[in-house]
Amino acid sequence: MVLKAAGKRARCPAMRRTWSRLAAGAALIQLLAGKAWAAGGPPATKLVNVADTRAMSPGLSKWIADLYNTNLWLFGLATVVIMAAMGYVLGSGFDRLMSLVGINLGRLDHHE
Amino acid sequence: MEMFEIFLPIAGLQFNVLLLLLIGFTVGVCGGFFGIGGAWIVTPALNIFGFPMPYAIGTDLAHMGGKSIVSTMRHGKFGNVDMKLGVSMIVGTTVGMELGARLVIYLEAIGLAESVIRKIYVIFLALIGSYVLYDYLSHVHRTRKAAGNRRETPPAGPTMAMKLQRIKIPPMIHFPAAGITCSVWLPILVGLVTGVVASVLGVGGGFIRMPALIYLIGCNTLVAVGTDLFEVMITGAYGAFTYGIKGRVDLLAAMWMLLGAAVGAQMGTIAVKYVRGYSIRLLFAVTIFIACASVLMKQLEMQTTSSILILSAGILISGVIIGLLFRGVGRELKARKTLE
Repeated sequence: MVLKAAGKRARCPAMRRTWSRLAAGAALIQLLAGKAWAAGGPPATKLVNVADTRAMSPGLSKWIADLYNTNLWLFGLATVVIMAAMGYVLGSGFDRLMSLVGINLGRLDHHE
Repeated sequence: MEMFEIFLPIAGLQFNVLLLLLIGFTVGVCGGFFGIGGAWIVTPALNIFGFPMPYAIGTDLAHMGGKSIVSTMRHGKFGNVDMKLGVSMIVGTTVGMELGARLVIYLEAIGLAESVIRKIYVIFLALIGSYVLYDYLSHVHRTRKAAGNRRETPPAGPTMAMKLQRIKIPPMIHFPAAGITCSVWLPILVGLVTGVVASVLGVGGGFIRMPALIYLIGCNTLVAVGTDLFEVMITGAYGAFTYGIKGRVDLLAAMWMLLGAAVGAQMGTIAVKYVRGYSIRLLFAVTIFIACASVLMKQLEMQTTSSILILSAGILISGVIIGLLFRGVGRELKARKTLE
């Protein structure tokens, strides 16, 4: 409708070209805005954490990444358990190693 | 060096394993020696090498829990951990951290959080560092004076901790490893105050708790170091869990760091055997001043310089501690050979 009325009013060909370009532009904007609105959906509330496992071969790294992608609660729990277990095992191991050097690792006298 | 590069799937980075081991080792030595978590070294170090900040904090907290187990176990065998005192303080610390978090939210709401917190942090670190340094210097002065008069070093007079211990609000409790009897409210209150401060400043709290255990509760330096590590172990485990469920821990990086930290923590902890309590306090004061300078640089928007300063200072301090350890071990082995 708008195009027709504008075309009738625009007598010279240059004017007609301008009007038709403007109309095409308006239609394109309307189309894109509609698409963008539809793609946007409701506002994002949370960012999703994903570890990229596509190029990973099976092993410890892949197991950690898979656990991270599957269940974050389990991942949190595994973090605590693994760190505590590693701390205990390494602590005991190095303790034994240090005592093999021959230094006395018994109780200390507290001196300031 | 390419052979040491690994892919960290959670942080989404290629990272050098040797670097992770070095950072872990450095912070392990300092943590075991001073009784601190060392977040002030690890977080900026990981950050300058490409870790996004939330992942740097989460990964640091995760490895901190494991590393503190190594140090606490060794300090426990040395008789430096007062579990009763640690547990009493944790009660106050937990409440204090929650109160501190609410205070931060309030400061954020009125738009003051960032600037106010950094300024308080700088002032706080400068005050603690100056007090510890003053205490060390007056001890040296008293010792020299006593040596001149050929008698024992006189006590410094009633300290703040002695005055606080005299407040008899029931229930009174005895802390065996620390050798202190005081109202149970004293460690709870000190825990509460240090918890608020740690939470507001966004740090683990070792920097504040260790001197608080010495100057407000009255522990000797080694028990303060050991008991503080017991607390760091618990806050580290909680931090690992809470950052883990939020997906902000790179577990693989934390495991490599812990490998380095376990060796460092063991060495740092054994080094306390060969150093007098007041020497630990002197090195602690120097460390605090370096941390203070780095925060000041951040305030002046010199982020990279600040992180480089922190990392190199951490390496330097751990080098000094390892030097003290080797000297001590050498002397001990030599003395044993002479006896045989």
